Amino acid sequence: MPIRVLLLAAVVALAFWGLRRLFGGYDVRAPRTTLAAREWALVSAASDAMLPPGGAIAPSAAEAGVPGYVDRYVGSVPPNMRLLMRMLFLLFEQATLFLAAPGPGGRRRFSDLSVDQRVAVLERWRTNRFHPLRLAFTSLRAILCMGYLADPEVLRILGLAPWDIDPPVAKADLLYPPIGRPRSEIRHHATTPPSDGTPLAIGGPIHPDYREARS
Amino acid sequence: MSVTATPGEGEVRVFADYDGDFVEEADVVVVGSGPTGAVVAYELARAGRKVVLLEEGPPFTPEEFVLEGAASMARTMREGGLRTTRGYVMPTMQPIALGGGSLVNSAICPRAPASVLDDWCTRFDLARTHRADLDPHYDAVGEFLGIAPTPDDVQGPRNLLFRDGCRKLGYSSEPIPRNVRGCRGSGECFTGCRNRAKQSMDVSYIPAAIALGARVLTSVRVVKVLANGRRAEGVAGRVVEPFTGRAGARFRVNARVVVLAAGCVATPVILRKSDDLANASGQVGENLQFHPGVAITGVFPDRTHPEFGATQGYQSLQFLDEGFKLETLWAPPAVLAVRTPGLGHALKARLAEVPYSATWDAIASCHRSVGKVVPRRRSMDPVLHYRLHEEDVKILQHALWVLAEIFFAAGASKIQPGVHGLAEEMSSVDQADAIRKAKIRATDLVCGGNHVFCTTRMHGDPKQGVVDEDGRCHDLENLYIADTGIFPRCTGVNPMYTAMALAHRQAGVIEDRLP
Repeated sequence: MPIRVLLLAAVVALAFWGLRRLFGGYDVRAPRTTLAAREWALVSAASDAMLPPGGAIAPSAAEAGVPGYVDRYVGSVPPNMRLLMRMLFLLFEQATLFLAAPGPGGRRRFSDLSVDQRVAVLERWRTNRFHPLRLAFTSLRAILCMGYLADPEVLRILGLAPWDIDPPVAKADLLYPPIGRPRSEIRHHATTPPSDGTPLAIGGPIHPDYREARS
Repeated sequence: MSVTATPGEGEVRVFADYDGDFVEEADVVVVGSGPTGAVVAYELARAGRKVVLLEEGPPFTPEEFVLEGAASMARTMREGGLRTTRGYVMPTMQPIALGGGSLVNSAICPRAPASVLDDWCTRFDLARTHRADLDPHYDAVGEFLGIAPTPDDVQGPRNLLFRDGCRKLGYSSEPIPRNVRGCRGSGECFTGCRNRAKQSMDVSYIPAAIALGARVLTSVRVVKVLANGRRAEGVAGRVVEPFTGRAGARFRVNARVVVLAAGCVATPVILRKSDDLANASGQVGENLQFHPGVAITGVFPDRTHPEFGATQGYQSLQFLDEGFKLETLWAPPAVLAVRTPGLGHALKARLAEVPYSATWDAIASCHRSVGKVVPRRRSMDPVLHYRLHEEDVKILQHALWVLAEIFFAAGASKIQPGVHGLAEEMSSVDQADAIRKAKIRATDLVCGGNHVFCTTRMHGDPKQGVVDEDGRCHDLENLYIADTGIFPRCTGVNPMYTAMALAHRQAGVIEDRLP
């Protein structure tokens, strides 16, 4: 009987240790609304490796607020797509427990690896002969790059911030209320002259939301 | 279910207007407000018919447009813009908004080549779908929308470089004809035209239809066509909340004629969910074709200011007989970056070159590559099965090689071909020769699933097609389909204009047949 109890305790302890290694020990204080703590850790760790500080565009992905962007973006897509993204994050975070990263201590979760090891892992996925792994890498890179190039400062550095445009009011705009609002809240009640086709000036004013430098 | 509304003055109803279940009565109910549904609704309203136009998405005004690419797609595209095919994994986008795809496409309006339409007639037992048959309908739509070649002053360097490269190589090229009035070259077609220059359906045909008495119900999802024997009696569905898709009140529209214009992907799902309606041929959802697209980004010594210029302003039809069409392309940087190779500082260096770059693409007629649309259980979303045939991969490979040639002829210092197994950057036409010589598989390419066709194809033989030449279902007397699903084959060129021309003709047929 004591041996059975001991065995059971060992199994429980092993299971607890395994689960903690897989899913535990994450910083739960991260400012997130949609991502789980482990997903935030993965996105932050992958961002650092994918788009590090310095180089041709100074801000890093972290400085450009990519993890926060991903948190909002994942929350904005339909549930079936949200689930797919979560599976993608889980795959990247846990894969190195089974297929170790190069170097000592490589059999850890992705977010626990050193930056060099993360880069090596991503490079392995990027150039892999197995198409689904490349596809997974491309998907992760796409999500992170979308976040990076959504940052107003990055766009301003590149000279690709959106134009400052004052939209003409078309007849149609007298019909449609703001999305989710009743027709009593239609914004416009008179049309303005339509676009005359004057080309925008290259280097002209940019959208107000993209003007301010990050403090 | 209580009757809470009857047809009357034209108007738009939005999500906030629905306070319970309702029933509408109409001569014609049109499902889907994209380019074809809008044309049918307008033409029949013009003929004095009581028309109800149904749209699952909401209307967008410029205040609702989001400038950031991914966030914009999450709002305007089904499945957040992340829909892909299975089998050969390829992204494909179906919009959900008043005006459908016209709200967020590049407004490209070429007529289908005569040879393509002749081929349709020969292969699919059609008699009245030659180019000469459709030209009057193209003319009517073109005049309404102001379809005209893109003027040079809003082309911008990245479009004109394509023209220059083609000229140097002796390839034909021309400004893309578009449904645009007063383009200023903001390059924002994909996130919604803030200049209100693009004549998308929500600012053109739909307001015109409303002015003629059409009732437009937005945020309503049709889940079933109601039928009795060989006659459709109307449609039924649910009110859905914008963006979340949460279903609310139930509705029903009783009509003498039902027109499905929900798109090549949604229409077969509706039919299959309607007890497999109109499917005696077994062709509903089958024969799915795309124009798979590939692209190359080239970097030039001088700044190209890619942010300026018509989103897609130039094209070459030189290689249509070889199976592909070439175009210039711009999209929000966040979307274009999806293709940028590398990681770490190399990736950042390439992103920093975007202001010096141009991206040009090819769309291919991949007739050998077919798939099917299958409805998901307990959902109106589809599963798209698709395989890219190896012979069609060769067409895409040839197209990539030609694009590379044009880039270097135009003065590019390097290109990013985006093909697995080849160099990520190539800096001379000699180096780019590897594109032509390599053994390339479908999975080596980064393809986009542009334009969707054939899932309810027209065929003179009821055993081989879902609709006849007028778009009327072979199995029902008064059920019509008016989207690119009725194309028997892909067109090789952007299909919107041809779909609208067919819809224009179909509206005339429906009017003639209505008592």
